[in-house]
Amino acid sequence: MWSLTRPDAPSGEPLLVVDDRVTGATKEVLDAGVSLGMPRREAEALAPFATVVVRDVGDETRRFEPVIATVEDLVPRVEAVSPGLLFVPVAGAVRFYGGEEELAARIVKELDVLTGARRGGEALVGIADGPFAARWAAATAQLGEPNVVVDTVSFLFGLDLGTLRESMGGDEMIDTFRWLGISTLGDLARLPRETLASRFGNPGVLAHCLASGDDRMVDPRDIPADFGVEMEFEDPLESLDAVAFAGRNLAERLLKGLRAAAVAPHSVTITAIAAHGPPRERVWRLADPFTEKALSDRIWWQLRAWVETAGVPGGIVGLSIRPSDLSGEGKQLGLLSDETSTIEAERALARAQALLGPDNVIQGRSQGGRMPGERVSWSRWGEPKSDLERDPEAPWPGATPSPSPALVPPRLQPIEVEWDGGMPTRVRMGSRWEPVLTWSGPWRLSPRWWTGERSADRYQLVTSVGAFLCVVSEGRAFLAGVYD
Amino acid sequence: MVGVPGTGLTRLGLKLLAEPSRVAPVVVLDTRGWISPEAAWETGVLHERLIVVRCDDLILWPKVTSALLEGVRAIYVEVPVRIGDQDLRRLAALARARRVAVAMRSLGNGLPSGIAHLRLRALGVTWEGADRGHGKLKKRRLMLEASGKGVAGVSRRFEVEDEGTDAMRVVSDVVVNQTRRAVG
Repeated sequence: MWSLTRPDAPSGEPLLVVDDRVTGATKEVLDAGVSLGMPRREAEALAPFATVVVRDVGDETRRFEPVIATVEDLVPRVEAVSPGLLFVPVAGAVRFYGGEEELAARIVKELDVLTGARRGGEALVGIADGPFAARWAAATAQLGEPNVVVDTVSFLFGLDLGTLRESMGGDEMIDTFRWLGISTLGDLARLPRETLASRFGNPGVLAHCLASGDDRMVDPRDIPADFGVEMEFEDPLESLDAVAFAGRNLAERLLKGLRAAAVAPHSVTITAIAAHGPPRERVWRLADPFTEKALSDRIWWQLRAWVETAGVPGGIVGLSIRPSDLSGEGKQLGLLSDETSTIEAERALARAQALLGPDNVIQGRSQGGRMPGERVSWSRWGEPKSDLERDPEAPWPGATPSPSPALVPPRLQPIEVEWDGGMPTRVRMGSRWEPVLTWSGPWRLSPRWWTGERSADRYQLVTSVGAFLCVVSEGRAFLAGVYD
Repeated sequence: MVGVPGTGLTRLGLKLLAEPSRVAPVVVLDTRGWISPEAAWETGVLHERLIVVRCDDLILWPKVTSALLEGVRAIYVEVPVRIGDQDLRRLAALARARRVAVAMRSLGNGLPSGIAHLRLRALGVTWEGADRGHGKLKKRRLMLEASGKGVAGVSRRFEVEDEGTDAMRVVSDVVVNQTRRAVG
């Protein structure tokens, strides 16, 4: 983890770096109550004395590039997550350098050299099992003192619940946990995972996995060689506009091919071939599968960093993107579907499910039945559908005709209807009586006497304020639907 | 959308989800637990893309609505009576920022000014098909008044004919009232 300093920031003054939320701040600003991720307006109100600068991710990537290169010289196959955060697989390197602490010390030493040569930047190094634990090991490390976590589970158990915020993409579920008296990851991990799955759905399971040290692992798939995409250029690309266009084009092609195979990449390797000089290669990783925008952004940041740091002498003559860590979260693009919107909608529904519980985010299926309430089979959204209770293909003689009432009470509601010689004349609507203008029915609902059902008659009553479906059984009237 | 139950606004609101449901999931935020998906399917909403979210908790309602507005493309929302104007304005701003198509149905007397692009008020409904015990409900005509920016600030009344299928049509512009300008 590397703190980037804005070269254009006034030296020694409090500083706030924002996009629509706070992405960086100096100590004075943090002391004033500002926190990372806080909405920009709120932060500006809390720290009016701070100089506000807008985040430039491309520029941050360019300035982070020497850090990546330095670490990559020590350990191959590093994975950039965002400017300032880098994951390093240490399994092989530990043997080479003689231990985790030795490796961490070596990384710190090399980065110290880099810090001496450039303005800004301080390294926090953490080693733990899994990306989530390693990220927080680094965040809790001291400058120049790597945090090598021996017991990852115990380390995670002591962390505040707020550490999940970054991975869960929101506060709602965390707020709910706090409201339930859960304040640390240990408290959360001690709950049965099944209970969380039942109450919060997939996000709850993910939170429990992270808290328990079972970090999110992608489901690795075989990667056929033809999933990668590449472009070659007769004239080397030197302008940023041309590079950006090529990157976007490659991102679209890559994801289109992967979607057709119903897979999605969690990690990509970007390779640029320079006109004069060795090829450059960088791996980028995301916890969620890459979307087109996320991938285009990272390609753009990386290429811009290489171009602006003279990392590709003579311009770029070839570009390739290779996916890795494919998971089954990729979905086949339907002819008339918008996959991005579908994924976003599913995330929104998962958040609603976390707030309300799985029984309140539901989906209906059409089934057979005579009454409107019977003809819908409800199931929890996102869960396997149960068998239908009533055969939708059966004839169902005597079914209430369409159009269906738009409002159907979960249970029949008692309603007052005045009759004159078997004909409805008035309906009580709250405190007043509405005359029945016309009606249809009665339609007899033949009972299943063996289940204890009683016979009933259905009427469609039309008043000046709307039409209603009414059931009359044993002299009492009930509201069964409103044609709203 | 403002009108008492029975005036046909639920079905009209559900109809607005039909087109967006062809490309992505659409959501109905059901406050009373009464909305029938069967009516939505009849108006052309795709079965597998309609999700119903039930929320009768006044404290959670703004949070749930806001969470849904962050991700879905189109939503029909029943607005409970005691939701504050401030919450509604914040949600409307979020919907505009996220470019979400929102049909808000007030369960009370109305919605605060300035939040809706188009305001529809139900003036009445007439039904055809039922005749003193014979026939069945077949067709209805909704009398609506539209106002707001969506009609360029010119309040107008019109009728919508609904035969219970996915075809609804505006059959007449009844009155154009140019004296009132839009508030929102």
